[in-house]
Amino acid sequence: MAARANPCAMEVHPQILIFAGSLLAILLLAGLAAALKLGGDHRLADDAAARAAADEVCDGFAAVEVALDGDGNAALLRDADGRIVLLKRHGNRFAGRMLGPDAKAREDGGTLIVASGERLYGEVRLVLADPAPWIDAIERLKAPRNA
Amino acid sequence: MPDFSPTEYAVPLFVVAVLAEMVWAKLRAPHTYEPKDTLVSLAFGLGSTVAGALLGGFALLVFIEAYEYRLIDFGQPWWAVWWAWPLCFVLDDLRYYWVHRAGHRIRWFWASHVNHHSSQHYNLSTALRQSWTGAFTLGFVFALPLVLLGFHPAMIAICYGFNLIYQFWIHTEAIKRMPRWFEAVMNTPSHHRVHHATNPRYLDRNYAGVFIVWDKMFGTFEPERDDEKVRYGIVKQLGSFNLLWAVFHEWIGMVQDIWRAPWKHKLSYLLREPGWSHDGSRETSDMIRRRWQDRTGERGNSVAAENPIAETREAA
Repeated sequence: MAARANPCAMEVHPQILIFAGSLLAILLLAGLAAALKLGGDHRLADDAAARAAADEVCDGFAAVEVALDGDGNAALLRDADGRIVLLKRHGNRFAGRMLGPDAKAREDGGTLIVASGERLYGEVRLVLADPAPWIDAIERLKAPRNA
Repeated sequence: MPDFSPTEYAVPLFVVAVLAEMVWAKLRAPHTYEPKDTLVSLAFGLGSTVAGALLGGFALLVFIEAYEYRLIDFGQPWWAVWWAWPLCFVLDDLRYYWVHRAGHRIRWFWASHVNHHSSQHYNLSTALRQSWTGAFTLGFVFALPLVLLGFHPAMIAICYGFNLIYQFWIHTEAIKRMPRWFEAVMNTPSHHRVHHATNPRYLDRNYAGVFIVWDKMFGTFEPERDDEKVRYGIVKQLGSFNLLWAVFHEWIGMVQDIWRAPWKHKLSYLLREPGWSHDGSRETSDMIRRRWQDRTGERGNSVAAENPIAETREAA
């Protein structure tokens, strides 16, 4: 008996099927990475870890002052020239910025909130014992520097 | 023209290999993966196949037209000329070296190629982190000499497909070193870790695809050191897992720089190396390396002066 085509069946272009299959595969792989708990929970354990991470942002950055977020998720570091590096946890790595005149800082309920000026980098929240000096230091970055 | 794409057939192999490396990571080095980073890298891979299908037609048309003006006819049918295949593979790898070097030394090309480097991890999913915007550069021009020499565009495409498949397995920290003879000739995980590193010593080194001999020949080779931890990613790490930002951030930055720059500097923001600025307010990889050398007294490997695309003058 000859097979009849199902009039309700929709023809799907093979490329769309390949795309859908690939999308499913990448979601499964990323889901598996999460299920296996790959990545871990990496935080800044101490000042030395923050200094090492800041050195990756700016080679040779020699901090004279370090403020570590209480949970180790972020840090602020200042060098002798008044330059400030902001660090934030990004997955299980750290991404930092050398702050410039566009940076802003404010305190909200005991938490220091720093914006580097890059929207996609996002605001960074730090729980510090005394955020006020850092707000002042970041504010000073707006002042034009003498050559 | 035979319709054969080696990379399409290799996809199941890629998936199995990523799975195997995840199991290795779970047992030995969980920090080598990060689920969100993996998702972004794999989404890059999927998107790049779509972008290639949508935007690759122009380069193909140019190649087919250029083939009509080839200098040498190797014989017909083109695919049956057996000796042309290995020759094409080696010459295409040389082409890859130079287009890859341009990808790091010309900001227009870097705007696309940065996609492959913006992960702070180095694993097999990073290998699949391929650009969506390659068609917006003139990278395909580097293949024109091969076409004009007489290699059929399909032969070049197939050789390039195998080249990319080779490069997949070298994106791993699971393999430390290959046998000495292999490390001497071939690109390996060790050599390519250097290429993905942001350590000043390693910036803009080891551009090879398959054969590391090109880097040794053109003065851009740097061996991996056991006493220096490799840090991966880009000089200014993204700090975001937003896929679209990851795809387009350097294009946006470049266009903004061109827009804001004085007229006489606009073209330089397109054609000079990443990090170049007309007022010296930013750093190129050469400047970062020099500052590191001055600070530490390390010498590193200096690129031969006869290769101007590698070493450029410091910004004014």
